[in-house]
Amino acid sequence: MTTAAPPATRNLETVGLTKSFGGVHAVRDATVTFRHGKINALIGPNGSGKTTFFNCVTGMIKPDAGTVTFRGEDITRRAPHKIAQAGIGRSFQLCRIFPRMTVLENMLAAVRRTRRRELLKGARNAEEIDKARALLVRVGIDHLENIEARNLSYGQQKLLELAGVLMGDPDTIMLDEPAGGVNPALVGRIGTLVQELNAEGRTFLVVEHNMEMVMSLSHHVIVFDRGGPIAEGSPAVVQSDPRVLEAYLGV
Amino acid sequence: MLNASDARPAPGTSGRAPDDRAVAAGRPWGRIVRVAALVVGVALVLAFPTMVPNAYILSAGIVVVSYACTATAWNFMGGFTGYVSLGHAAFFGLGAYGTGLLIRDVGLSSFVAWIVAGALVLLVTIPVGIAALRVRGASFVIVSIAFVLILLLVFQAWGSFTGGSDGLVVPRPFPDLLRPEHHQVFFYLFAALLAVMLVVWWAIDRSRFGTGLKAIREDEDKAQALGIPTRNYKLVAYVVSATFTGLAGGMYALWFGDLDPIFQFSIMLGSYMVLMALLGGVRHLFGPALGALIVGSGLEYFKLEFGDTQLHLVATALLLGLVVLFMPDGIIPAVRALLKRFGPEDSSIREVTAAELLERNRTASHDAPSRDTASTTAAATAPATPTTRQEDGR
Ligand SMILES: Nc1ncnc2c1ncn2[C@@H]1O[C@H](COP(=O)(O)OP(=O)(O)OP(=O)(O)O)[C@@H](O)[C@H]1O
Ligand SMILES: [Mg+2]
Repeated sequence: MTTAAPPATRNLETVGLTKSFGGVHAVRDATVTFRHGKINALIGPNGSGKTTFFNCVTGMIKPDAGTVTFRGEDITRRAPHKIAQAGIGRSFQLCRIFPRMTVLENMLAAVRRTRRRELLKGARNAEEIDKARALLVRVGIDHLENIEARNLSYGQQKLLELAGVLMGDPDTIMLDEPAGGVNPALVGRIGTLVQELNAEGRTFLVVEHNMEMVMSLSHHVIVFDRGGPIAEGSPAVVQSDPRVLEAYLGV
Repeated sequence: MLNASDARPAPGTSGRAPDDRAVAAGRPWGRIVRVAALVVGVALVLAFPTMVPNAYILSAGIVVVSYACTATAWNFMGGFTGYVSLGHAAFFGLGAYGTGLLIRDVGLSSFVAWIVAGALVLLVTIPVGIAALRVRGASFVIVSIAFVLILLLVFQAWGSFTGGSDGLVVPRPFPDLLRPEHHQVFFYLFAALLAVMLVVWWAIDRSRFGTGLKAIREDEDKAQALGIPTRNYKLVAYVVSATFTGLAGGMYALWFGDLDPIFQFSIMLGSYMVLMALLGGVRHLFGPALGALIVGSGLEYFKLEFGDTQLHLVATALLLGLVVLFMPDGIIPAVRALLKRFGPEDSSIREVTAAELLERNRTASHDAPSRDTASTTAAATAPATPTTRQEDGR
């Protein structure tokens, strides 16, 4: 891999990423560069391929064509756990947690990497429990640590999922609709968290339909339509782009 | 159901809010009861051969302990990862025939043959696991059944090597022992094998590896997205499970001395393992063994009372249906929940946590932005950090 730009400024890039399901071109020739150290937003109408794009990037789905590079390294078709271990954490559109584990167990299961000789070490290790608790405090659900995750409200589950992703210390965090299905107060809280975490140096890629959140939060917006990017730029620029208005409003 | 009382505060970390202290207060009792139950259980197992009135009951006891071995072995895969294999008898049969053939054709001594057969099962399981674990859910169940059926056909057809339906006679390891002593020795051998399995299961259960396996059981894709190498984890669990099943089969061959493909590679045997584990509770160390005790005793009783009818099959099927419908988590959690209802310490833990949860929910619903009472309610009920505690409404 040739590194044209200094590695420190490169994050996730895709070139010609393509994936179809039967006749449906979910992602079509998507060439996208996300800004390192920034909050990147990925927006687009329903069915424009955002989630499929996420799945291709994180290895959950094998793309038909195209490449994905992370910090200049080709990660196309790598197994999902390898991509996670490389430092990309993700949440799911329909929040996924381990329902029959307690909140704390959920966190302890999310340790990014276990070295082979540590496999049989006890899972309840004081250092990791402290880390898990600190993160639970941070997202505001520390008082629920002994509750089975399936008993949490949907909003709490989303917070748990985010905290779990953070357990692995990812440098790049991909969130699929973090504000989907949660009340406005929580949307604000999640937004603040994203900003704080970004200030600590983590890059974000956020798929979101909540335009208020997108516009207030992100540094760089990429607009998807029918499987690929049609516009990108700062929130202000994107908002006034006629192609975006057309894709969204059909004018 | 609240699960707070199951969790233990970690050593070396300061206690958490109310729930942890309550758990700590209720813990000594739970531990004493558990240790006492373990001691009594071990004593009963050790004393069993000396207490039985005749060799027949003793051999029934061996059958039950061998069932406990197979069900516990099955649970390394089924319990931890949630992959239901109905074809685990394949490994039982391979272990049994491997042991028998290594003695007969290679001339190894009995227990060397047993260990080597176990190692062979381990090696065979690696490619089988790689292939079978490509699919999940119902497909995995079907692949597992297909595997045992293929082996059944091969071992039946290849009579010159395996003895086919005529059976394979396995020389006894202790030819000088009389029948009762022979049974006694094997009862203890099976019990020792079971003990080893239980220790290994316990060690995995509390380990990081075990946590990863349980994450796979909960949500395999999510586990992988968090960085857990799910394929390798599953494969290791599968191989461990199969190897222990094979060792149980080999032990059975040494004890019983006569093998027939129809019994060794039987879907019924595989179904028993599943039933026993589910009945006792797959999430619990002693669940499968307890299930084996109940189902195994039942089966032996049926055989004694009604001879070779198919009645025990009907009873087994009924039991399986009842368990799946009414006790999906098995007996152990069901009994625990029952005890909790009567036990004072434990119920107080539940109340604390339940009350807290209730309060949380009340606070959360009051926090809905349209309600202007939100801030006052939150300030009054949320103890420490009101700002972080407002947003868990739906
Ligand atoms: N597993 C699948 N099988 C078949 N078609 C699929 C699959 N996943 C996605 N699609 C199709 O691909 C297209 C893109 O879907 P995708 O979920 O990526 O869109 P999205 O941008 O995330 O939409 P939303 O905003 O509603 O979440 C849709 O037409 C969808 O029906
Ligand atoms: Mg989507």
